[in-house]
Amino acid sequence: MANNTWKIARRSNAQLPLVIVLALAVVLVLLGKSQSGLFDHARMRITDLMAPTLESVRAPVRGFNRWTGSIDELFTVYQQNLALKDENARLKQWRNVAVVMEGRVRHYQDMLHAVPDPDINTVLARVIGRASRPFLQTMILDAGTAHAVKPGEAVVDSRGMIGRIYLAGDHTSWVILLSDLNSRIPVTIAAADGKAAALQAIMTGDNTAMPMLDTLSDSVILRPGDQVVSSGDGGLLPPGLPIGTVVGGPGAYRVTLLADPASSEDVEVLAFRKPAEALPPASISELPAVAAGLPPASAAIAAPAAPPAPVAAPARPAATPLPQMPRPAGNISASVQTSPIVAPPPGNGNE
Amino acid sequence: MGARLASALLPVLCGLLGVLLSNLPITLFGSLVPPPLLGFIPIYFWCLVRPDLMTPAAAFAIGILQDVMAGGSPGIWTLSFVLSYAVIQRQRDAFAGLAGLAAVLGFATATLIVCATAYFTTAALYWHLPPVGPIVGELAITVLFYIPGAFVIGALHRRLVGPLRSDF
Repeated sequence: MANNTWKIARRSNAQLPLVIVLALAVVLVLLGKSQSGLFDHARMRITDLMAPTLESVRAPVRGFNRWTGSIDELFTVYQQNLALKDENARLKQWRNVAVVMEGRVRHYQDMLHAVPDPDINTVLARVIGRASRPFLQTMILDAGTAHAVKPGEAVVDSRGMIGRIYLAGDHTSWVILLSDLNSRIPVTIAAADGKAAALQAIMTGDNTAMPMLDTLSDSVILRPGDQVVSSGDGGLLPPGLPIGTVVGGPGAYRVTLLADPASSEDVEVLAFRKPAEALPPASISELPAVAAGLPPASAAIAAPAAPPAPVAAPARPAATPLPQMPRPAGNISASVQTSPIVAPPPGNGNE
Repeated sequence: MGARLASALLPVLCGLLGVLLSNLPITLFGSLVPPPLLGFIPIYFWCLVRPDLMTPAAAFAIGILQDVMAGGSPGIWTLSFVLSYAVIQRQRDAFAGLAGLAAVLGFATATLIVCATAYFTTAALYWHLPPVGPIVGELAITVLFYIPGAFVIGALHRRLVGPLRSDF
């Protein structure tokens, strides 16, 4: 311990290097603000190197945490047992309701020829590490790019969404938790009684156990117990992932998360990719001009289908008067451009 | 020559080892106990005792490793460590003259500078005040770990670096 028994060395002449190093540290902070992934490669290399060690200490650490975490539960086992039996009976009733509703929804989807939800590939992973630091709450999974895990993908357990993949190394990946300061998730809030319309919001982590709900207008009134699920906006996360329930009052709405990252052991990484909307099949009768009641420009349509001109024939001159198709609405041009049949002539795009 | 090199590298190696140990992604007691800033204990200790072995560049390197291992926005811990190093160095006579509980309070003051710098830098970067609880917990647990940590480092210093103090 530092006390007056230590012989203090002479004052170093390091004032100039100290100023330089201090300036470098400030530059590093500013650089880190603009390039947040400055250390990502090094982080993943170190985590990949540590993975075998983390795997080996995982079991004893889990046992220790389970043992220490269950000490206080010894005194409430009887009450918990009664509460769980009661909850189990109610959940069985809800399960029957859910089965009936699922069959009804499937029937309606068949009637409406609804587009089925896209398939989601999942990667099973184990939690091999956790870190709860003042400004970052993460967990480390034993799956990385070698298992097709990519940054941005959602991580869920059996109860709900936990977070998103933040960094992906070869064999490990970091998960940024929903409660983390860096977490922003577009969510949909459905009224618990099903009477009010669903609302959109952004769920923002602030390193507390319950993230905040942002971008709600002041006039919106939520009620405790309203369900929060992922909205799927942006196409990165699948819609409808259960996240939590609303708590708090006006101006300070927060979300109680369903999943508990501190106790999750096995999780799934959802490789969701929103499929691109398929273009409608191209046919003359479906051209916007025809749909608008205008005569089709048959010459323009037939031109691309004609056999290629002989080599001696000149290329299409800029001044060649091509037949112009009337455009009754401004947004039709975009539809026409995507059609393989009626590509607009070069130089005429600004009409 | 070998002993001199080992004594010269010992403070930095202790700092780097402290960072590695404190940033292992293993949480005990269900995330209730935050990890201590073990990498800062050697910085404080050797900045007082042998600043020629714990240079600003060494503090910078330890801070960089803390940033890499801890995640989050780069540079926050580097700036915090270097800024605290600057304060310790300017007030070295006052800090080094402390003994017993006062020495622990001196370390707590230096750690408070580290934590406050990290907290307000993060708040400025995110334009949002993070909760105070976790950083206060980190401060408390780091000060708690200083007592055994300083004994270990002191023993290492006496055994490996101490004999060379007469050179200065």
